[in-house]
Amino acid sequence: MQRILQSLKSLVLSVLNGNSGGEIPMAILTEGRLVPLVAFILAWVATYLAIQMGTQGKIRIRRIPGLDSIEEVVGRAVEMGRPIFMIPGRGTFTDIYATQTIAGLSILSYVATLSARLGAKLYVPMSRVDVYPVAVELVTDAYKAEDKLEELDVDEQIPYLSGTQFAYASGVIGMAARMKPAGNIMMGPFWAESMMFAESFARAGAMQIGGTARMYQIPFFAAVCDYVLIGEELFAAGAYVSGDPQQVGSIAAQDWYKLAALVLGILGALLATAGVTVIGDLLRM
Amino acid sequence: MVDFRRDIPLAITFIIGVIAVLDYYTTIPIFINTFTVIKNWGVVLQAFALGLGAVNLLRVHGRRISERRDDWYFSAVLLAMMFIFIIVGLITGQYESGATYNWLYNAIYLPLGSTMYSSLAFYMAYGAYKVLRARTFEAALLFTTAVLVIIGNTPIFPAMFPGFFHIREWIFGPIVGGAYRGIRIGVGIGAVVLGIRTLIGLETGYLGRR
Repeated sequence: MQRILQSLKSLVLSVLNGNSGGEIPMAILTEGRLVPLVAFILAWVATYLAIQMGTQGKIRIRRIPGLDSIEEVVGRAVEMGRPIFMIPGRGTFTDIYATQTIAGLSILSYVATLSARLGAKLYVPMSRVDVYPVAVELVTDAYKAEDKLEELDVDEQIPYLSGTQFAYASGVIGMAARMKPAGNIMMGPFWAESMMFAESFARAGAMQIGGTARMYQIPFFAAVCDYVLIGEELFAAGAYVSGDPQQVGSIAAQDWYKLAALVLGILGALLATAGVTVIGDLLRM
Repeated sequence: MVDFRRDIPLAITFIIGVIAVLDYYTTIPIFINTFTVIKNWGVVLQAFALGLGAVNLLRVHGRRISERRDDWYFSAVLLAMMFIFIIVGLITGQYESGATYNWLYNAIYLPLGSTMYSSLAFYMAYGAYKVLRARTFEAALLFTTAVLVIIGNTPIFPAMFPGFFHIREWIFGPIVGGAYRGIRIGVGIGAVVLGIRTLIGLETGYLGRR
């Protein structure tokens, strides 16, 4: 089996490198990334198929209470006459948490639209200088689209606090203590400040929704927030709240892929127990 | 009809995304070199954005001070510190390794940062107190597990009864490890699919209502 895999790998690489077994020119593919590339292409195909099925209305996804309740949080703020906070995390566009930042910004866009429409005062304290102008643009766009631009004070409502973790944390905690917000939505990558935020807003009496794919912070949100988005749910959030059948359909691709990972995992564990390491070898190609 | 405010950012996202993907999977020099240039642009843009952040701080807090709003003196302290750091950096010409700059950082920021970090222990203890109440079966299970892990983490109990250490290890291994990997796989797949949605221009939430 080992030999078959080795031959298969050589064959694929020689085709990609454009030689037929003679001297090897510079390889096109990075070593050890053949299977990840194939998996990526399959993910692309699966997403395309899921989008097509979504367009035809063939895909139904389960409700996510944390996202369904965003409107309730904004409504609560309006009824109580208190502000609402949306914190998109401390990630940037250039680190490995960029996807979480994008997911958080998608939710920010949705929350800003709801806040403008319903008349809630939205605060978005920012920590990252590269994300800050995008957040300003998103919120401004949302208020403009609802024809409520005069109700938005960008400097006051979208303050850049600090790029340093605990300086930022103390700034947000201070705002929560002074303003007593009715709601707080935290979506994106968070670090140790997550527990400080969740506790401080809980003490201020805010209804909270937390969502992150950072593993160590999920328990903190689960302990204190009213609703939690766990891991992958955060990535589905933007598509979910958009209500667009194409985007909703693409979420199904995640489940297909997860199913494939589950099957490979179980199969690999059983085969490895029997001393056959074919799955592991294949994934390392 | 072409909507420039929407289509140009989407086109830029797609082109740069594809170059990033090719940079990761292939060894073709043109993609690697192009992506290096793009990453350098990112660094330059971040430097400009930092200036934007400083201007925002100045505007927000300057307005608070001039209008004598509540707690305006905090804004005054913030701006004073910002200018002290900028002036010291400019005068000494040593921004990170200078003695004066280091002293300012070590004497002012470091103790404040450490204080904030250490306060985390109280936040966590309070959070644990709220959660660990055995009111339902699941909560009782969580409570029992938490107590066993806490006991297993203390030096004295495993020293007296080594079984506690093994229980803790078992909880962290098969139980937590299994659940952790499950969530991690989901996170990885979710990130990939979100990346694809972003590349093909389906995920436009980060562009606003365009």
